[in-house]
Amino acid sequence: MAAAPDLLPGTLDMLILRTLQKDTLHGWMISERIQQISGDVLQITQGSLYPALHRLEHRGWIEAEWAVSELGRRAKFYRLTASGRRQLAVETRAWARMAAAIGRVMKLA
Amino acid sequence: MDLRDVKLRARALLAPRQAERDLRDELAFHVDREARKLIDEGMAPATARARAHARFGSVPLVADECRDQRGTAFVDDALRDLRCAVRSFAHAPLASATVVATIAIGLGVVAVLFTFLNTFLFRTDRVPDVEQFYAVERLQPGTDGQSSLTRADFESLRRDTSVFTDAYAAVSGIDLRVDGRAMAVTLVTASFFDLVRVRPSMGRALTAADDAPNGGNPVIVLSDKGWHRRFDRDPDVIGRTVLVGGVPFTVVGVMPEGFRGLVVGAPDFWAPLAQLGAFRPNQRGRESSAVVEIAGRLKPGVSGDSARAQLRAWSANAPASTAERRAAAAATIDVLPHRGTVPRPMEAVMLFAPLFIAFGLILLIGCANVANLLLARGVARQREIGIRLSIGASRGRIVRQLMTESLLLALVAAAGGYVVSRLALTGAVVWVVGMMPADIWDVSLNVPAADWRVALFLVAAAVASTALFALLPALQATRIDPVRTLRGELVRDARPGRARNALIGVQVFASALLLIGASIFLRSGMASSQYDQGFRTADTVMIELVNEPTRTAMLQAIAADAAITQYAAVRPGMLDTLPGLATIGQGKTPLRCKFVSGDYFGVMGVPMLRGRTFTPAERDGAPVVIVSESTARALWPNGNAIGETFRLEPDRPSEGQPEDQPAFSSHLVTVIGVSRDVTGSRFTGNKPGVFMPTSLDAPDTAAMVRIAGDPDLARRTLIEHFIKIDPNLGRIVTMRTVARLEKVFLTIAFSIAVALGALALLLTVSGLFSVLSYLVAQRTKEIGLRMALGAPSRAVTRLVLAQTARPVLYGLVAGTVLAAALATVLLSTPFGAFISPIVHVADPVAYLASVVIIVAACVAAAALPATRAVRLDPMRALREE
Repeated sequence: MAAAPDLLPGTLDMLILRTLQKDTLHGWMISERIQQISGDVLQITQGSLYPALHRLEHRGWIEAEWAVSELGRRAKFYRLTASGRRQLAVETRAWARMAAAIGRVMKLA
Repeated sequence: MDLRDVKLRARALLAPRQAERDLRDELAFHVDREARKLIDEGMAPATARARAHARFGSVPLVADECRDQRGTAFVDDALRDLRCAVRSFAHAPLASATVVATIAIGLGVVAVLFTFLNTFLFRTDRVPDVEQFYAVERLQPGTDGQSSLTRADFESLRRDTSVFTDAYAAVSGIDLRVDGRAMAVTLVTASFFDLVRVRPSMGRALTAADDAPNGGNPVIVLSDKGWHRRFDRDPDVIGRTVLVGGVPFTVVGVMPEGFRGLVVGAPDFWAPLAQLGAFRPNQRGRESSAVVEIAGRLKPGVSGDSARAQLRAWSANAPASTAERRAAAAATIDVLPHRGTVPRPMEAVMLFAPLFIAFGLILLIGCANVANLLLARGVARQREIGIRLSIGASRGRIVRQLMTESLLLALVAAAGGYVVSRLALTGAVVWVVGMMPADIWDVSLNVPAADWRVALFLVAAAVASTALFALLPALQATRIDPVRTLRGELVRDARPGRARNALIGVQVFASALLLIGASIFLRSGMASSQYDQGFRTADTVMIELVNEPTRTAMLQAIAADAAITQYAAVRPGMLDTLPGLATIGQGKTPLRCKFVSGDYFGVMGVPMLRGRTFTPAERDGAPVVIVSESTARALWPNGNAIGETFRLEPDRPSEGQPEDQPAFSSHLVTVIGVSRDVTGSRFTGNKPGVFMPTSLDAPDTAAMVRIAGDPDLARRTLIEHFIKIDPNLGRIVTMRTVARLEKVFLTIAFSIAVALGALALLLTVSGLFSVLSYLVAQRTKEIGLRMALGAPSRAVTRLVLAQTARPVLYGLVAGTVLAAALATVLLSTPFGAFISPIVHVADPVAYLASVVIIVAACVAAAALPATRAVRLDPMRALREE
């Protein structure tokens, strides 16, 4: 059960990192935010978010902390680390290059 | 992998509960939060929760994927599987115990064999670099594989060739009595101890001075075994003397425990080769022509092939009588890796392979039993498995868990198998030693030690058998439709029918093979217990007179002994004979000859059918012979043989004869008598065809005596008595013992075969029984329905029996055909030729009996479940469903 088919493979990590760029969020808020900002275009099976979060945590790009959520319950909050920031920059550049390239092909081919 | 990652992994491993709780909380929080949002949007709480779950996906699956990210999943899963396994054993203790016991028996049986193989294949020698040792052999033309290198050859080889860094010569396997106790000695050149590079634990080893030709010192070096047996580990043994052939030998050293020389059985002591005359009086004065074993360490850089080439060149130039012999000698010289009398690994593997197959079949039947049991359990566990599948666990994951369970059982069984193998080995050794006639050898068989290799083998075998018995049931059990299972529609039988039938077939096949083997052995054993050697064994004793100087005194003692009622001369040994050729007219007939005195026939109870026996005047060289009944019939089909003459000549040149066999020259002989056939040993089956005269005065003859009273008691008295005349006694053996010894080897082989066959049958029957019982229980509803509809009990019985009839039939046919094929192959090998006089491989009765036994056993195994099916109360059966 990976991301829904309309989410390009490999982009989930980048979206998570981007979502965490300014805020410290827990898992549900991350999925909410991705869905809202994309205007419900990007439908992810919410569960598939967590393996990605844990993977990123293991890579050291994000770190987690337990804190009290907006509902007054304990929740796990994620925050971007320094190396996560660098990774986001790398992935953003790669994405931009890729999108531009695809755009050119679509226009000219 | 950075520090953070390590920390996370460590936490997952060291505080798994905390990590698990965090994971569960995190995922649960998400679902709750989503549901809360939906409720806030106005959805009913129950619907909201369901929707939230649907959006989230399978919680356990997501949890699994999260765990995978830790990289500790493997350990993690294994631990969880282990916990599950232990829990499931607690649920079904009886089934688990059955699995463990069945596999433990199979593993134990195979481990027994491996323990034996281990001592052959991987025996640990105290000799460093033992693989550098190469033995030189020169096969004597016309003999079956006897080496003919002499001590003179050894000196020449050491002097004139540069193949070895050094070599030694040895004469081993001399049994003698030292102070009345049977001891084994190996005579070696002084170079032996330098070559093996093992230091004595006490005193010194042999030196060049001890082994000086035509002199030397009468000294011995004890092995640990000899020190123990003869001196009871006396620490002050150095300097003590023992009498060998009346000559005092001084103990100069004791070798450390575990040093056996280069053979399996250590001698009791080593003595210098120059002292050969003291141990073999008939070779006194011709020590340099004694046949010896030669081995040494190859020089670095010299390969086996180049050594062979060099030694062939040397052998061709060695002083020998004729060019022809030299050529033959060169052609037959060989250099082989020396491993003493231990079979080389390949030979050992070849030797053990058929046994491993036979013993492995037991394990195979056990595995089939367990596989069937697990198939049945798999069906019973369908609900559990179905639920796990439907909540998203992958099939591989469940298979892995089922396999972990089985592996755990198999490892417990391996521990049980170890216990089984130790018990079986100890029991077998005690049993064998108890059967061995103590008057031939001081038998001391050690239970082969179980080292780490045995443990490793057991674990490996356990893993292998897990794959064998658990994989199929695990795959079968997970091949179900989760949706239907969830709905409560338990699929009664997830098509394991075919698998189950295959397993029954395998079991019957394996036990047919083993049972046919066992019946063949059993029938052969029965036949051979009826074996008539053709002479008296009850009250006859053979006395070897090895020491020529004391021969007269010994003979006087025999003549004076009140217990000895009759005696005769016989040569050269107990049942040995010398092949000869009779020339009659143009043709040549091979005959076995035996040298005996005229009294032999009376002492041994071999009746003369026609003519007379030898007179005392007819001794060595007299041109008269007695032929056996069958020889007379073969040579003179129409005549009565008496008075016929023919030419008798040795079938090989006399110069090639070993020294301890009598001279035999071609001469014309007249038949003076015809005796009843003597069949001799059942192993070699040598039937002397011609008896030639000899007398007790001739060197190398032994006395065959008839004893009044108990021969074993008489034998002990004789030894006590004779030892005063000659401390270096030859063998004194009751013929009863010889006959018994032959029987012991047969009994051992037959017993193993029968035990394996019985075990196979037992396992098969119990396996069939449990499968059929299970099937009947499973089909209760169907059977109840059929009976309610008026099916006669005959039909129900047929139904139950029909379930197994086909696989049993297939297994039976396959097993019988393979057994017959194996028998055919076996008979065409040299080994087959060796055993064919004893074991009647092509025995239709054995085949038929095995088939009948298996069919009967299968019917018996099916009978109880069938009866139970017939007795079913249809109404109750239907209601219970």
